[in-house]
Amino acid sequence: MLTIENLHVSVEEREILKGLDLSVNAGEVHAIMGPNGSGKSTLAQVLAGKDNYNVTQGRVLYRGEDLLEMEPEERARRGVFLAFQYPTEIPGVNNAYLLKAALNARREADGEQPVDAFEFMRLIRSRMELMNISKEFLNRSVNEGFSGGEKKRNEILQMLVLEPSLAILDETDSGLDVDALKIVAAGVNSLRSADRAMVLVTHYERLLELIVPDHVHVLSDGRIVKSGDHELARELDARGYDWVQQEAASA
Amino acid sequence: MNTEALSRQFAAELDRLPRSAEAAARRAAAFEAFSAAGFPTRRDEQWRYTDLKPISTAELDFAPPPPSTELVSRVAESLDQAGFDEATSRLVFIDGCYCDTLSRTTAAAGISLASLASCSEADLPVHAHAPFDGHPLATLNAAFARDGALIAAEDGARTTAPIELVFVAGGRSGLAAHPRIVIDLGQGAEVTLIQHLLDLEPGRGWFNAVTEIVQAPGSHLTLYRLQDHGTRQFHTALMRAELAEDAKLNCGYFDLGGRLVRNDFDVRLAGPGAEADLNGLFLASSGQHTDNHIRMDHIAPRTRSAESFRGIIGDRGHGVFNGKVVVHRDAQHIDARQSSDNLLLADNAEIDTKPELEIYADDVKCSHGATIGELDDDQLFYLRARGLADEEARNLLTFAFANTVLERVALPELRELVAARVAARLPNGATAGGTR
Ligand SMILES: Nc1ncnc2c1ncn2[C@@H]1O[C@H](COP(=O)(O)OP(=O)(O)OP(=O)(O)O)[C@@H](O)[C@H]1O
Ligand SMILES: [Mg+2]
Repeated sequence: MLTIENLHVSVEEREILKGLDLSVNAGEVHAIMGPNGSGKSTLAQVLAGKDNYNVTQGRVLYRGEDLLEMEPEERARRGVFLAFQYPTEIPGVNNAYLLKAALNARREADGEQPVDAFEFMRLIRSRMELMNISKEFLNRSVNEGFSGGEKKRNEILQMLVLEPSLAILDETDSGLDVDALKIVAAGVNSLRSADRAMVLVTHYERLLELIVPDHVHVLSDGRIVKSGDHELARELDARGYDWVQQEAASA
Repeated sequence: MNTEALSRQFAAELDRLPRSAEAAARRAAAFEAFSAAGFPTRRDEQWRYTDLKPISTAELDFAPPPPSTELVSRVAESLDQAGFDEATSRLVFIDGCYCDTLSRTTAAAGISLASLASCSEADLPVHAHAPFDGHPLATLNAAFARDGALIAAEDGARTTAPIELVFVAGGRSGLAAHPRIVIDLGQGAEVTLIQHLLDLEPGRGWFNAVTEIVQAPGSHLTLYRLQDHGTRQFHTALMRAELAEDAKLNCGYFDLGGRLVRNDFDVRLAGPGAEADLNGLFLASSGQHTDNHIRMDHIAPRTRSAESFRGIIGDRGHGVFNGKVVVHRDAQHIDARQSSDNLLLADNAEIDTKPELEIYADDVKCSHGATIGELDDDQLFYLRARGLADEEARNLLTFAFANTVLERVALPELRELVAARVAARLPNGATAGGTR
């Protein structure tokens, strides 16, 4: 599904990703953990197509095609979805309008007809219930004045509506209370399937108790320095990152 | 247009109008006042950012011939198509000439609606004859105005549905229309009025209007104007209002087109407790120029004013916001706010903002803010990351910027109409889907 080879990315002359390799197959859930500032969000944003990052080396293949060549909207239409660490507030743009426009853009790319208002409502009702988002949110501006937790749940709602092939969740669990964490995990789990892949960026092992990953990676100083399974996440939770970084330095 | 040519036109026009000697003298005085100074130039502080040369050098016919029956029927058809229904109280003007067959003057009890030319001198309120010192184009209007609208509300009268004034430019090039609108509200009267300005066909002409408003104590006027001229019309207008005690004026001005647009607002809060809200939205691209020029006089205590203008300025567009607030002596407990927010969509888009305060009292709350910005990159990226095309995302955000002004329109149908017209005029012809 996704192959990242020797990816180097810099921002304003400063190298942030320094030769990152990662391979994600359909059906898998990968967790990426790592200290603050190690480059996790940079990776997520580059995959989604944010343009103020310079890719200086390496390549990224999505379903065998060069992902970095595609415009952000093309990636989205082909099934790449990024749940933002800090969802952007957009005053004056209606939440329901964006959901529908996003869905129709995706359907159009798949050669399907746009949804009508009735079908749209039917489609989102159950998903809004699952995310415990009330109907008023549809008529509010995108993320404007939403609480931290509401913004995160809104990201997952969008994901549930768009049913992406590759979902990248950047710290969707941060700032959530216990109940909201369960809701978000249930949403994510409901999308798990053999033809989808997910990359979860997180600092907390407790998310991974709810969404059990197939692989866990440690990103440190722009590189994946260690990979393992769920057990690695538990170890990191208990011991922190120092030992991994030391291991990597001595290797 | 040189002064000689203008004088010839004026002389011919004066002979044509069957008016009292008094009226003719007033016109002559106005014309003299105008020609003594001529068109204002950019050396004049009030016209620093707006160059009238495109108008002053154009060959224009100041006495437009009345529309042919064929033109009238084409206008009728297009109004019909645009969804103007017949039941609405409405005055229709084509190239400044009143069109009886397309108008409906019956209105709610206590409200009278008439074409100015059909009124006798005695029907007109006294203020309709006051000179326009400091407003040369309005003075020119006073010389040439041949028709317009009179809307008068008796004490306590209320409109049940908005009254409409529709000014259509018929597509004949080189015509200069000088309509005059007089609005006279009695005590406690409440009136909602919508002005539509539109072009039947794209044409090069000049529309130079004056709206005079007098509000008795406790009256409310809600005045919307949808100025939807094509990109080649010149449009200049003065709105002058005088508000007595506790009177309220609420304006929504939407300028969507025009080669050169200048709106002057001259509002006098003369009675304690009077309030004025001026909201505006303008679009200027393809070399268009729009200038909103406001003077707000707080003469009486406890008066409140708020001006909020938004500009969307595209390729080679130029916007101007000049807002002056004057708080007179002994006018205490004043609240005056101004804001001018502008969105620049191109590198060569320009905006000049100039707030001015003159305060001669001490218990005064005044604020003004001006912002100039571009579309937000993070917002653009968020929308594109959800699959919206770059252009669509840009238009959506541009529309969202306009939407805060549209949301203040209290009439849902009008709000939808303006939203659709704004969307159609955005650089890439967006949908208005972002509205709530
Ligand atoms: N647009 C930018 N301009 C300048 N520096 C940037 C930019 N984006 C990221 N960086 C820098 O790159 C480094 C990596 O940032 P990134 O957001 O990817 O870290 P992260 O691993 O997601 O951290 P966290 O766990 O705190 O979210 C940081 O030092 C950050 O300051
Ligand atoms: Mg991050």
